[in-house]
Amino acid sequence: MLKYFVDTTEALLSAALLAGMLYFYISSGFGRKGKIFAVIGLLGGIAGAGTVAYLKNGTKLLTSSKWNEIVLILFFIALGALILFWIFSALRKPLKQVSEWAACLLLCIIMLIGITYALPDVLVYPYSILLVEKSMLSTTFIFKFIGIVFGVILVFLAGLSAGKGLIRLPSGQKMLVLSLALGLSGIRQSTMCLRIMLTKKMIANHKLFGDFSLFKIAQFSSNHDNWFIFGMIFITAVIPVLIWLKSRHVDEPYRTPAEKRKILKKWLINKRWAGVVWACLVLSLLNLTELKAIANRKVELSPVEDAPVVNGNVEVSFEQVEDGHLHRFAYTTENNVAIRFIVIKKPNSSSYGIGLDACDICGETGYYEKDGQVVCNLCDVVMNINTIGFKGGCNPIVIPYSIENGKILVPVDGLSEFEKEFK
Amino acid sequence: MTKKLIAIALFASMALSLTACGNKAESTPTAENNSVAETTAPAADADSEPAADTSAEAADAEVKSEAGNEAPSPDSEAGFTEIPIFEDIEAGFLNVSAVYFQPVPMSGGNESIEGFDMHLEADVSALENKLGFGVGDWVPYMTVDYKVIASSGDTAAEGSFMVMSASDGPHYGANISLPEADTYTLEFTFHSPEENGYLLHIDSETGPGGTFDDYFADGNLTVTYEGWEYIPQEW
Repeated sequence: MLKYFVDTTEALLSAALLAGMLYFYISSGFGRKGKIFAVIGLLGGIAGAGTVAYLKNGTKLLTSSKWNEIVLILFFIALGALILFWIFSALRKPLKQVSEWAACLLLCIIMLIGITYALPDVLVYPYSILLVEKSMLSTTFIFKFIGIVFGVILVFLAGLSAGKGLIRLPSGQKMLVLSLALGLSGIRQSTMCLRIMLTKKMIANHKLFGDFSLFKIAQFSSNHDNWFIFGMIFITAVIPVLIWLKSRHVDEPYRTPAEKRKILKKWLINKRWAGVVWACLVLSLLNLTELKAIANRKVELSPVEDAPVVNGNVEVSFEQVEDGHLHRFAYTTENNVAIRFIVIKKPNSSSYGIGLDACDICGETGYYEKDGQVVCNLCDVVMNINTIGFKGGCNPIVIPYSIENGKILVPVDGLSEFEKEFK
Repeated sequence: MTKKLIAIALFASMALSLTACGNKAESTPTAENNSVAETTAPAADADSEPAADTSAEAADAEVKSEAGNEAPSPDSEAGFTEIPIFEDIEAGFLNVSAVYFQPVPMSGGNESIEGFDMHLEADVSALENKLGFGVGDWVPYMTVDYKVIASSGDTAAEGSFMVMSASDGPHYGANISLPEADTYTLEFTFHSPEENGYLLHIDSETGPGGTFDDYFADGNLTVTYEGWEYIPQEW
């Protein structure tokens, strides 16, 4: 659940903050037409994202290669829209009517594209989970889905509060914050397009100066992509700061006590929205740092249990393993390498699943038990307990063993052959 | 006047977009960044070189419609793009190419793609040989180990490939996690099919004329490719 909460927040936060600002900027600043364009941008983006998610995962019509190309096209359309928006904003006074229509349309396009780009990944999470869980009624699916819902709620509130906060700023500050958010988003998308174009060899890896090349820019931006999200959080955090600063020096004129109360009430509401922005941003920051670290923490394997070596065999008595849980044993070689193996009694059976605590695919990462299931510690693949002891896939590597007098005998010679698996 | 200005603005927006899109012309790149590709195969042609064509489009794999028993129609065909890492390096009797694309769910308990960044694949076909494989045939029964080494020298990913079929045929591959962009070295190690119980006729009448020792007497076949400039992709 936690992992999906974090992943959903990470995938959507930047887009949600920008979309929230754009939605309220358009709907509050351009009268009736602004409200219409804001709704078109929002609903169009959600519909676009749903279409993309379906085409990518439910059909073969939209391959990842085509999606990359579409992303590039969308980016350049959005970039064009952004540049034109700035131009028309500068011309707002002499070309009032045209500028307003143009600004509405262009910002609507940017919002629509931003949502269409960011949302599909999250929309397909349930589909990806179902590939493994098979049923929407499984506990795991439900918990993971709740994580997604919490993530969506958090970013929705963050976007909503960012937008509500933005429109409470004076027009100059409003434009500045929005432009910073649009600019940062544009830079992030530019680096992402650079990555696509380099990987697909649409452009060569030009050296800019010395060893510094386009690849180095793409590498840096890819490995520090979270900086853009933190940057967006920082820009959004400016909104409540500006509201709070302004609220300390309210000098709006009033003629009657009623008007004064009205002004005070307005600033109380403003400060409350500023508080909501802060709360959402702090929660998002916690989510992307502390919770992310917890969600991605590797499970610590249960300790190795004692098993004597007798006559060249590691001896495991049935009593040690008859509880149906996963048990871990090891033999330490002359080179001081501990070769681990696992034993688990198979459900509704008197037989045992026995194999190395490593697989061909993921190496010596090991297995752990969770909710009665055996899970690979690296790739989180859930093992079918009944197939443990058989070769293939992410199953434990098969080892020789025999059963005698109520004991499982694992020959030391057989284990030693796998020394290289446990470096 | 107003309508004219709106029309001009829209036209300018579209023109800017289309002009920019034109920059992504499907050019075939030079291989200036592909550094040394070497094989350490004992029987390998030491002069073998990787092919320079690393165009993603060149590796397009055709995917036929799989909708139940419906016959695929031309309209229902689509392609997934494999991104080449290197192509046509020779090791012993093997011709090896490496590609990657989006992580894929697989059968047999490997349906989850959570936490993976790509599906790495070794495409292996036979060269002229005395083992009975036709030139260009996929070579089965091998254990193929992979190792991805970061520019720091640390191992970023390693393991053994699984054997599987995609719509473009059988191959050795695995979903792997490789979240960091870097310039990597990629190593493949090919074990003899004999290790997994693949047998050869050895009589003069029906045998192909060679033994696995002709190629594996000095150990496994290895392909090393340096200079793989990898950036995680949006799939």
